[in-house]
Amino acid sequence: MQFNPCMKHKLIRNSARSFAETELAPIAAEIDQQRIFPRDVIAKMGELNYFGLQVPKEYGGAALDSISAAIVVEEISRVCAAVGLCVTVHNGVAVYPFLQFANASQKEKYLPQLAAGNVIGAFSLTEANAGSDAGSVETTAVKNGTDYILNGTKIFVTNGGVCDVALIFALTSSPDNKLQSSVFIVESKFPGFLRGELEDLCGMRANPVSSLFFEDCPVPEENLLGRLGDGMKIGLATLDNGRIGVAAQALGIAQGAMEAAVKYAKERQQFKKPIASQQTIQNYIADMATEIMAARLLLYRACERKDAGAAFGCEASMAKLYCSTMASKVTSLAVQIHGGYGYSKEYDVERYFRDARVTEIYEGTSEIQRMVIARSILSQPIM
Amino acid sequence: MKTGKNKRMMTNKQKSIWVFGDYRNYYQNRVTLQLISKAVDLARVIDAEVCAVVFGHNVEEWIMEYTAHGADRVLAIDHPSLTSYSTENYLALIEKLAKQRDPDIILIGATDFGREFAPRLAKRLKTGLSADCVGLDIEPEGLLVQIAPSFGGNMLAEIVTEKHRPQMATVRPGTFKEIPHNYERTAIVERLPLPATLPASRVRVVEYERAAQKGHTIENATVIVCGGRGLGNKNNFKKLNELARLLGGDVGATRPVVYAGWADHDALVGQAGKHIKPKILFSFGISGAIQHTAGLGEANFIVAINKNPQATMMKMADVAIAADASDLLNNLIKELKKRIRE
Amino acid sequence: MLNIVVCIKQVPMVTELPWDEKTGTLRRDLAAGMMNPACKRAVEAALQIKEKQGASITVMTMGPPAAEEVLREALAMGADRGIFICDPILAGSDTYATSFILAAAIQKEVPGCDLILCGAYTSDSETAQVGPQLAEELNMPAAAYAEHLDVSGRILRVRRLVDNFRETLEMEFPALVTISMERYEPRYASFAGLNKAFMETDIPVLNAEALGITAENLEARGSRTKVRRVFIRKTQKENVRITGAAASAVSEFLDRYQWAISAVIGKSIEAEKQA
Ligand SMILES: Cc1cc2nc3c(=O)[nH]c(=O)nc-3n(C[C@H](O)[C@H](O)[C@H](O)COP(=O)(O)OP(=O)(O)OC[C@H]3O[C@@H](n4cnc5c(N)ncnc54)[C@H](O)[C@@H]3O)c2cc1C
Ligand SMILES: Cc1cc2nc3c(=O)[nH]c(=O)nc-3n(C[C@H](O)[C@H](O)[C@H](O)COP(=O)(O)OP(=O)(O)OC[C@H]3O[C@@H](n4cnc5c(N)ncnc54)[C@H](O)[C@@H]3O)c2cc1C
Repeated sequence: MQFNPCMKHKLIRNSARSFAETELAPIAAEIDQQRIFPRDVIAKMGELNYFGLQVPKEYGGAALDSISAAIVVEEISRVCAAVGLCVTVHNGVAVYPFLQFANASQKEKYLPQLAAGNVIGAFSLTEANAGSDAGSVETTAVKNGTDYILNGTKIFVTNGGVCDVALIFALTSSPDNKLQSSVFIVESKFPGFLRGELEDLCGMRANPVSSLFFEDCPVPEENLLGRLGDGMKIGLATLDNGRIGVAAQALGIAQGAMEAAVKYAKERQQFKKPIASQQTIQNYIADMATEIMAARLLLYRACERKDAGAAFGCEASMAKLYCSTMASKVTSLAVQIHGGYGYSKEYDVERYFRDARVTEIYEGTSEIQRMVIARSILSQPIM
Repeated sequence: MKTGKNKRMMTNKQKSIWVFGDYRNYYQNRVTLQLISKAVDLARVIDAEVCAVVFGHNVEEWIMEYTAHGADRVLAIDHPSLTSYSTENYLALIEKLAKQRDPDIILIGATDFGREFAPRLAKRLKTGLSADCVGLDIEPEGLLVQIAPSFGGNMLAEIVTEKHRPQMATVRPGTFKEIPHNYERTAIVERLPLPATLPASRVRVVEYERAAQKGHTIENATVIVCGGRGLGNKNNFKKLNELARLLGGDVGATRPVVYAGWADHDALVGQAGKHIKPKILFSFGISGAIQHTAGLGEANFIVAINKNPQATMMKMADVAIAADASDLLNNLIKELKKRIRE
Repeated sequence: MLNIVVCIKQVPMVTELPWDEKTGTLRRDLAAGMMNPACKRAVEAALQIKEKQGASITVMTMGPPAAEEVLREALAMGADRGIFICDPILAGSDTYATSFILAAAIQKEVPGCDLILCGAYTSDSETAQVGPQLAEELNMPAAAYAEHLDVSGRILRVRRLVDNFRETLEMEFPALVTISMERYEPRYASFAGLNKAFMETDIPVLNAEALGITAENLEARGSRTKVRRVFIRKTQKENVRITGAAASAVSEFLDRYQWAISAVIGKSIEAEKQA
């Protein structure tokens, strides 16, 4: 494992950071408060390959390695986690399954548009009765001629309010009449594709998270991703990858919160000296910095395994678990260091604090990550 | 001429400090006079003469001014072909003069022109140059100690040109104080002809005109007058506009004042508002709460007016005036109207 | 096709560098580097010329090994070729020496280039001297602080704002121009561009020897100035206190500070009240 960032990774970080600070920092608080999805910034990001981070060049992507892609998500989230969410869900769980499971004509048709950001992707597994238990999906897809007809309701769909293409998990019946889940590429312009109201969330408010309704929505059979009944396999593989992105997002939020807290601690004077000179505050800062560093190394380790073609599911879960709990803790300390001002919307740490929390929930709660990790550890042979 | 000068003439070579006469924005930018003043100080230490060098057309006015402000000698080339500023022409002229006369030091104002002109001259004279100095000192043996800012002005570097002559520096306008004029003073004025061999300038000036004032925002304003609750009421606050106009600056405000409707939200300075970096900040009736001062990170020169001398704003000011804010504001406006020469 | 060279420099990303009181040096190691902002605009200016009339753009930097990064970034933005001048014996060059070395590299690697662009100033030393001195080395017509460039045939038209004058200048190629911060908002490099700049591009490294620079000619053509010491600007403000009636306080204030104010506002303020 490489411990020093190479020049390429440094430059990619600088590049994403300067974009985020120039284009997103001035609007991050406002789009959070007003729940605005910043379409013009998203359009600019499209031109710069933010939506095709790991898509091969022949489809117009940037073909980045996984550490580079994680760095990009980290840097966007360091300034604006809601846009970071848009980017990581698009790349990590909407585009990734195309790269892994789509056939040539599906790739041909969708990848260039997705990679350019002209088409925003969503990944839609969760339903009212299928949260952690992804196997309990109730949406159905019934074969009718050359179409599958979708019916059902999906909830908590990141990018739901704006997506042009969504990967929908629905129940199909196998030739021997067993119900299995399958994944469909559904375009928002298909009849019967309806969007619900935006969710009124605690954090990530600039991301249009919404429900999606399917009312006799016909999906052509060539839009089946992978094989019939591959839903569980595709879902799990995709979430392994998505967790790297959520970890990167959590890490970026924590980094932003720590930087704000350090700056504030140096400026804020109480008892006639900067609070940063108090040992208690120093301890907080030391803990924050240490845990952020540990989280980053864990995350890049998962990335490295992924690029090496090794199994990375357990490492991705570890990274996601650690980064997200760390982010909750660090953002909470950042609020603490700010005192009453940290609880005010005029300071960014309040937003970081709200945004960090959900990284412990989506793409598998911390409890589920522990389950995955434990299962992997327990299944290893005893030395 | 002062009698002391005659003694110097006897030494082998008269030491000489040159100041380049940059008069393009004379009424606004007095850097040449400021440099002559500093050159007079330096000359005293090493027993040198101060020589102003001026090129242009109809330069009598500048010859007179440079003499009145302290030059011992003026070298002037006056010719219609020198009417508009030209780096290449002026370079050719001064290069020739400097090679003939071998000055010890050449000081040039750090105007845009000076900062383009000086490095090229230094290269032609094969000598060193330090840029945008904010301090000059001289050692008895004649080594010029040049204090130049680096790293965004947070650091200062002490720079010397040890082995090569002349020693050259460009100096930031406003660094030194000019000597008040004395039109009785005399200097040796050498009116030199335009050399016949002057090469044609390769850069043609197609057009030039005085620029209109740049549209500015509070974030890039160089002068800001900020008001707080201590101004008492909206009417008093509005007078800040007049001060801002006189100083060519912008008006800023604290949060309570914005919430009270004395100022627009656009004027809010601080953590929840604008971050400003003026060269001069006036702060009227502001306590200096951290949320406000967080926006003042880079204010260069702060003048605070507060009736409470213990206010944080007063402690962080370069100049703290203990007075009633609106009373002082009125007086300052009145006085500036009298004193400012447009 | 036009042959353009853009000289760029790496600068520390922060303006406030940590300072080691004990050794009296800057902790440069603590700051990440970036392309100097005005240099980035010079790259942008070159790219816009390339888009309009076609050009081949060579970017060049002299610096420590880490400075290679700014060349990669310029390549990612759309430059065609990078040249890296890197040699420990060149460290600490002043503008006099730097312009000599850059000139040697341009003459060797891009002979017959038409246009040289530089950033007008760097954020770490702000001398604005390298561009003009490079023009002297190469004996080219030059203009500093350009805001806009127009190329027609072999004629370069430069618009700029200097000392409150708006000027339009014309010169023939070859020429050198330094680009100000005013216009030419630089484009962001795309990630595809960045990836390509690292994975598919070689950057030749020139050392002093390759440029024909030896200890002797470096002495003759090298640095003229010496930095004797660097110190921190005194942070303690003077905190001058003025008291008394408003009218007299104003007089006292203006008498003491009129010069400082007039230097900033660009208008003269009388030192004393006219009687
Ligand atoms: C902002 C946001 C965006 C989202 N985006 C998407 C999206 O784009 N696509 C998508 O498909 N989904 C998305 N989701 C849904 C998200 O993935 C689910 O909320 C998450 O998987 C948890 O499911 P649930 O909310 O139904 O909680 P539940 O599954 O009901 O869990 C409740 C609690 O029980 C615990 N629990 C449940 N089962 C077990 C178990 N077996 N062992 C131990 N503990 C258990 C959980 O850890 C949790 O603490 C999003 C959610 C949010 C809030
Ligand atoms: C979350 C949050 C964010 C905030 N963000 C900002 C922000 O971005 N910007 C901002 O400015 N504030 C902000 N504030 C408010 C800030 O904390 C202060 O309350 C505010 O800056 C004080 O403004 P002031 O100095 O005008 O008023 P005061 O603090 O009331 O000070 C008035 C001063 O005027 C002096 N004075 C009174 N009468 C006179 C007189 N006749 N002559 C001379 N002096 C007189 C007093 O001695 C006093 O020092 C924020 C607060 C919070 C809670």
